Amino acid sequence: MRCRPSIWIWGAFIAIVGVVDLCASRVDAGSFNLQEAVDTAGPGDRISVPAGAYPGPLLINQSVELIAEPGTIIQGDGKGDVVQIHAPDVTLRGFIIRSTGKSLDRENAGITVLAPRVTIEDNVFEDVLFGVYLKKAHDSVIRNNRIGGKDLPVARRGDGIRLWYSPNSVVENNTVSNSRDVVIWFSNNTTIRDNTVTHGRYGLHFMYCDDTVLIGNHLEDNSVGAFLMYSRRLVLEDNRFIRNHGPSGYGVGLKEVDGVEAEDNLFAGNRVGIYFDNSPASVDMVQHFTRNVVAYNDIGLAFMPSIERNVFTDNNLIDNVEQVGVLGSGQLKNNQFVVDGRGNYWSDYTGFDLNGDGIGDISYKAQSLFENLMDREPKLRLFLFSPVQQAVELAAKAVPTFRPPVKITDEAPLMQPVPIFIETGSEPPVWPTATASLVLLLSASGLLMCGMTGTLARPSAAAGPTPMTEQPHSNPSKRTSEPILMAGRITKRFGRLTAVKDFDLDLRPGEAIALWGPNGAGKTTAMRCMLGLIRCRGTVTINGFDVRKRPKHAKRCVGYVPQELAFYDDWRAKELLGFFAKIKRVGRDRVSAVLDEVGLAEHASKRVGELSGGMKQRLALAAALLADPPILMLDELTANLDAAARDSFLGLLCRQRDLGKAILFTSHRLREIEALADGVLVMACGEVVSTCEPRKLAEALGLKSSLRLWIDPDRLNEAVQQLRTEGYDADRNGQTVRVKVRPDEKGKPLEALSAAGIAVRDFEVDSNDSKSATGCSEHGGAQ
Amino acid sequence: MSLRTILIIAHKELRDALRNRWFVFYTVAFSVLAMAMAYLSLAGSGMQGLAGFGRTTAGLVNLVILLVPLMGLSIAAPSLSGEQEQGTLAYLLAQPITRFEALFGKYLGLSTSLTAALAIGFGICGLGIAANGDTAGVGVYLTLVVMTFALGLAMLSVGILISTLTRKASPAIGMAIVVWLCLTLFSDLGLMGSALAFKLRIQDLFGLALINPLQVFKMSVLHSMNASLDVLGPAGIYATQAYGRWLSALFIGSILGWIILPLVLASLTFSRKSVS
Repeated sequence: MRCRPSIWIWGAFIAIVGVVDLCASRVDAGSFNLQEAVDTAGPGDRISVPAGAYPGPLLINQSVELIAEPGTIIQGDGKGDVVQIHAPDVTLRGFIIRSTGKSLDRENAGITVLAPRVTIEDNVFEDVLFGVYLKKAHDSVIRNNRIGGKDLPVARRGDGIRLWYSPNSVVENNTVSNSRDVVIWFSNNTTIRDNTVTHGRYGLHFMYCDDTVLIGNHLEDNSVGAFLMYSRRLVLEDNRFIRNHGPSGYGVGLKEVDGVEAEDNLFAGNRVGIYFDNSPASVDMVQHFTRNVVAYNDIGLAFMPSIERNVFTDNNLIDNVEQVGVLGSGQLKNNQFVVDGRGNYWSDYTGFDLNGDGIGDISYKAQSLFENLMDREPKLRLFLFSPVQQAVELAAKAVPTFRPPVKITDEAPLMQPVPIFIETGSEPPVWPTATASLVLLLSASGLLMCGMTGTLARPSAAAGPTPMTEQPHSNPSKRTSEPILMAGRITKRFGRLTAVKDFDLDLRPGEAIALWGPNGAGKTTAMRCMLGLIRCRGTVTINGFDVRKRPKHAKRCVGYVPQELAFYDDWRAKELLGFFAKIKRVGRDRVSAVLDEVGLAEHASKRVGELSGGMKQRLALAAALLADPPILMLDELTANLDAAARDSFLGLLCRQRDLGKAILFTSHRLREIEALADGVLVMACGEVVSTCEPRKLAEALGLKSSLRLWIDPDRLNEAVQQLRTEGYDADRNGQTVRVKVRPDEKGKPLEALSAAGIAVRDFEVDSNDSKSATGCSEHGGAQ
Repeated sequence: MSLRTILIIAHKELRDALRNRWFVFYTVAFSVLAMAMAYLSLAGSGMQGLAGFGRTTAGLVNLVILLVPLMGLSIAAPSLSGEQEQGTLAYLLAQPITRFEALFGKYLGLSTSLTAALAIGFGICGLGIAANGDTAGVGVYLTLVVMTFALGLAMLSVGILISTLTRKASPAIGMAIVVWLCLTLFSDLGLMGSALAFKLRIQDLFGLALINPLQVFKMSVLHSMNASLDVLGPAGIYATQAYGRWLSALFIGSILGWIILPLVLASLTFSRKSVS
């Protein structure tokens, strides 16, 4: 309800304005009859037409001068012409002429002129099919008009200006947009000056117009800038042919014209800058092109092969995709690119100027295999700006047989562009470019800072180990009956090789189980299957989570120490643990704690690559302990350690076991198994062949140690004989004796030799011979 | 899938990239070449005031087509396979992360570092050109930047796919170079030959060109420069007339396909891959 008064006020205002406007129009139109004024005027009379809208069509049969006040409209009825001039020496100035018909057959025009010496100036044409149409109206002037065509497809539009058999006319300073063409036909000695024609089909279309001058015209964004045909002695000066990009897209097309003199023109951004088709047509004619700029066109100069007698000098040919094109097969000849020792500037010229005279010391040659291919097969233009273009050119340079003929040669190319002043309008400001570039640089810097400082994902310093709310065994009591890790019938094949077969395991909190077996027995593969690293058959459940379906939850319960310690060597130890702490979602304080726990606190700032094998092993254990997981998996847990480090490491693991962690590990060392394991799974050829207590492992498997004895060389054979007599498996091995014994009877051979009076100078214990003990081959199943 | 974990892996990749020589090398190489290209494009044409980014862009298109795929492929191809070869991938996957997180984290990190390298190159080049007073076509220039980023992401996706198909860095890089050669040279040579030998129809030629992301990149930038593809001859005119305003969408769709499809394939491959 509140808005109602304002609505009324606005409504009243609009109504008043409408009524006033309507009244004004009616008063003017009613008080002055334009047609009557023209009809009753005498020859040479000047009629001032008051502002207002007058109905068309207006017929002018008297030689009068019609001068309109500003805002004077001649309104057509949408049929036929709006104004027809039948009398000579008429001037029509300052009108707005609207609404012709749409008939192309009847050539409906804003003004149709059928008599000579007519002046059409300072008029505005709106919604017209044709703008100004001179039919046999010689010596006429069309000046300062603004002509806008109908909103129709180009093919259904008329011509903005058309001259038909109207020689000696002047067309100057007109603006034509959205019409079809500006047509000048059969009209010799015409001057076309300072016109702007945009968004049409042919900016200018000439036929049979000898001695015509084009100066200062702007022909932009048309299908073709100017198509000049069948005319002689044409002068083109200071014209702009820009972005004419229709299917043919010529800046200027020359077809069978003679005697063109073109100077100081700009041909830019067209499909073809200048197109030559049989021009000059007469054998006695020469055409000159001087001080023009031909730039950024798809083809700068396009010639039909038979073109001759064109002279080019002091032109700038800049960055045309193809500087010179020869359309079709054949070779150009008798065109001249040097006059008085001066050629043209070619932006792709790669020569030099040793004497500094501004002329290149070697010729410019337009020669390109890819361009030749494009000229013959235009569809290959699709590959412009592709590396394949360079590849083709390279092939042409490398292999002479591929080298195409030279299209044109400029013997005196200019080293610098000719300084030609061409006004191109106001340039856009610099700041958007600079701002965009700065934004790019700042964004990149921001990203890099994130990389350096780690702000992408920084862990909370106060965060402790992630509470394992979903984990029933996060704080397991020792030796509970519920397994925390269960593997059922794990089977993994690599091609025909069965790496693991029907592997079963139950691992309980506080329990340590060893996987024992020779190389290739499947220990590591089984462990990786349990971690989900290797796809396999069977089931693996860790702390109640299926390792395949909920791998993240399952692996969160496991600390893994691999056999081959692979870390990021250029990281510092604390950085590395910090990274894994983030993944495991534990606080940074845990990094210091675990480093301290494994005795690496003083090496925290060392790079991983600088650490010894033992330190890396400890670092791996530290990483495994970060989240205080209930399960530890260690593959060859002491592989990289010396004896002292091995003892220390085993001590660490025993403490973890005693704290309630479940430990699964692989090892070749009987002593480690005896020290840490509660049970042993003996594997061979991918299968668990037996289970036993650690203490009985050697006995159960018939394991033997190999002793190597250093004895006086003179008594080597005697020693071997003595040992065999005692029942040992002994033989000579170079300058030593090798003897196999039970692991718990390694001293007995020494005692036997001593009793026989043979001194043993030194001895060495080799590893257990697990292969013989398990009796398997590396390639078959269990035997 | 946790975004936080992806960001952690991405950050690691980004940090590794900054420590590696490739980042510095590619950034410097791209910046220097872009500047050189811009200088050469502007050197002979400043007087008309018609040059500027439009022409520079045309020169940069060639540079980008050659260099960016090489950058993307050579960075991404050894990313997973190299870590697998070193053993660090198995160790990483033994941690509480999913394979998708590892893959997308790596992709995100590599994307960030590659994009940063390209942004530095374009930024320096743009500032140099702006300081020279040449301004025309900043919109075109930004289109070039964005499409270059997109092309880089597409090549990273292909590189990641290669990485999931190989177990060592060397074969991965070898395969990446083969793919690079195919995309930059062999496919276009093949298409050129086919166009001549089999008289391919224009629409077929254009359709086949759309398969190559490098051609798509080139055409999209040229389209933004000229509002049409007329410069590319009959095939370009056909594309402009047949697809009109949908042409940009076609190009964007094609590039997006090259980003997404290889990444999806890489995810599937990686999820089934045994890592040891």
